[in-house]
Amino acid sequence: MEQIVLETKGLTKRFGNVTSLDRVDMQVRKGEWVSIMGPSGSGKTTMLNLLSCLDAPSEGEYILDGVATATLTEKQRVAVRREKIGLIFQQFHLVPYLTALENVMLAQYYHSMIDSKDAEQALVHVGLGHRIGHLPSQLSGGEQQRVCIARALINQPAIILADEPTGNLDEANEEVVLNLFQELHREGRTIILVTHNPELAEYSDRVIRLHHGRVQNDASAH
Amino acid sequence: MFFLMLRQSFFRGRKRKALATITIVLAASLITALMNISIDVGDKMSKEMKSYGANINMVPKSENISLEIGGVDYNPLEGQVLIDQKELPKIKDIFWHNNIVGYAPFLKVTAELAGSGKRRVPLVGTEFDRVTPVAGDEEFRTGVKVVNPYWQVHGEWPADDDGGAILAGAGLAREMNLKAGDRIRVKVAGEKGGEEIFTVKGILTTSGAEESGLVAPLQVVQRLAGLEGKVQSVSVSALTVPEDKLSRKARNSSDKLDSAEYDRWYCTAYVSSITHQIEEAIPNVTARPIWQVAASEGAVVNKIQLLMIVVTVAAFIASGLGISSLMVTTIMERSREIGLMKALGAADWEVYLLFLSESAVVGVVGGLLGCAAGYGLSQVIGLSVFGSTVAFSPIVIPVNVAISVMIALAGSLMPSRLITKLYPAEVLHGRR
Repeated sequence: MEQIVLETKGLTKRFGNVTSLDRVDMQVRKGEWVSIMGPSGSGKTTMLNLLSCLDAPSEGEYILDGVATATLTEKQRVAVRREKIGLIFQQFHLVPYLTALENVMLAQYYHSMIDSKDAEQALVHVGLGHRIGHLPSQLSGGEQQRVCIARALINQPAIILADEPTGNLDEANEEVVLNLFQELHREGRTIILVTHNPELAEYSDRVIRLHHGRVQNDASAH
Repeated sequence: MFFLMLRQSFFRGRKRKALATITIVLAASLITALMNISIDVGDKMSKEMKSYGANINMVPKSENISLEIGGVDYNPLEGQVLIDQKELPKIKDIFWHNNIVGYAPFLKVTAELAGSGKRRVPLVGTEFDRVTPVAGDEEFRTGVKVVNPYWQVHGEWPADDDGGAILAGAGLAREMNLKAGDRIRVKVAGEKGGEEIFTVKGILTTSGAEESGLVAPLQVVQRLAGLEGKVQSVSVSALTVPEDKLSRKARNSSDKLDSAEYDRWYCTAYVSSITHQIEEAIPNVTARPIWQVAASEGAVVNKIQLLMIVVTVAAFIASGLGISSLMVTTIMERSREIGLMKALGAADWEVYLLFLSESAVVGVVGGLLGCAAGYGLSQVIGLSVFGSTVAFSPIVIPVNVAISVMIALAGSLMPSRLITKLYPAEVLHGRR
């Protein structure tokens, strides 16, 4: 049986009187690809923020790669983010004045130390070996997303958390990114993907459906 | 990577950085100009003050008490201790010799005017504008035209070697109806007093005692009085620094100063230290500062410097506020970048460091450009206010760059606290 990388127990998040996420229990095993789906306001993004340690839960437990994160201070959460999580955003969030290579190196810099050869290799891995010196403004949406993926992978994180990674892409680029995710999955990476796109979710091992902050359904995607 | 980010953010975010730099340049140029002028204003004001006349008066150490009635000295010169004219170039041998602008020797005798009932009038012998070579300055000029620039002559100045030329004081000329071109017979009072016929070259206005007498070239008066090579007093014009606590202490007695204070006082161009050095160079003379000139010089300079400090502080605050508002806009604009850095694992201080370093670079660049612009501005101010350029003080550069960095950092410090309040979950996803 594969090792559990991520586990939540009664994970709850409230904003004032509004409960955005309500007692969510879930487990993700190493190498598993889990998609989180649900309508707007169902708590997907809140879930992602908690899982990526960008926010702290109001109640419940969250154990990531053996570390209980719910009670960590902000400083400790920063360390967990740096060491264990690779983030992929819908809007890419690349630093506009840094080149593709420098954007990847930025993640290395905050993690430990920079290694331009490794960063270049990560870009080659996502098919951007010829675009390393380009600024984000000189790259297409698909290329920017691939830089974002290379940046998420560079520090060998325990899990990759992706928020609507194909949400801003055209069909052709969507396919490129989808292929990359499949490749990462084949390499044994643990992926949690928040998406509206059922076609994308189909490729995952498991789909968790959220509704009004609760897990409505947790089943195999196939 | 840090320096790479700093460089890239500086060069690729040029517009806003340029705006911040311009803000610093404006403040820095103003501060540079004011500092430059402030440092040079002592010399400038000193030169300006020279139009009020000499600021040091030299007399023999054992000068007899004069017996003057109506400007005429009834004490005979015979037997009086006088200064040897040959000693005077030693004034330019003192430590502050470069600050000696000029000097004018005087020999004052009483003369009788023929054809006016032997009226007695003061006859002053002096140099008008003589080239007196001294060590290190072959073109050094002495005389009243240098020392007393406020003396006005209606007509012509006599030449120093013109034995038959004389100036008539405006008051005397009015009373005796003298005008340029008139000839007058003058006899120096006393048994040995000689007689000479002079041509009035011009009418002298000084607003002083000279207006009631005659002024002739020094060597003529010396010859007529039988006192060749002797002078009675010397007016010295020197560039001095304003009085301060130390010079006031020394003014009472230089003996009260300890050795460190004495050295500092001696090596500063106070009027009191210059007179002290003149007395050292020429024995048997007493050099006295004319305190009215020295004191008003100090008061004016102090007020100007205070005014400049006030303007500098105002420029500091204004540009700090400008930087502050620019920084707020920058942080808001770059909130996603800040959120991303935090999401990637940057601690708050690392983000602070980047933004404050950017501000420091803006401060350094703005400070250096401000120095150049301020130098130009100080020249414009110098030319329009003092009629001459302002000397550039190299110390202004490091001081001004440090002030500029302080402005940039002070302006950035408060807004950069916003960085702590930016949560990556909010700025990256636009919602919680």
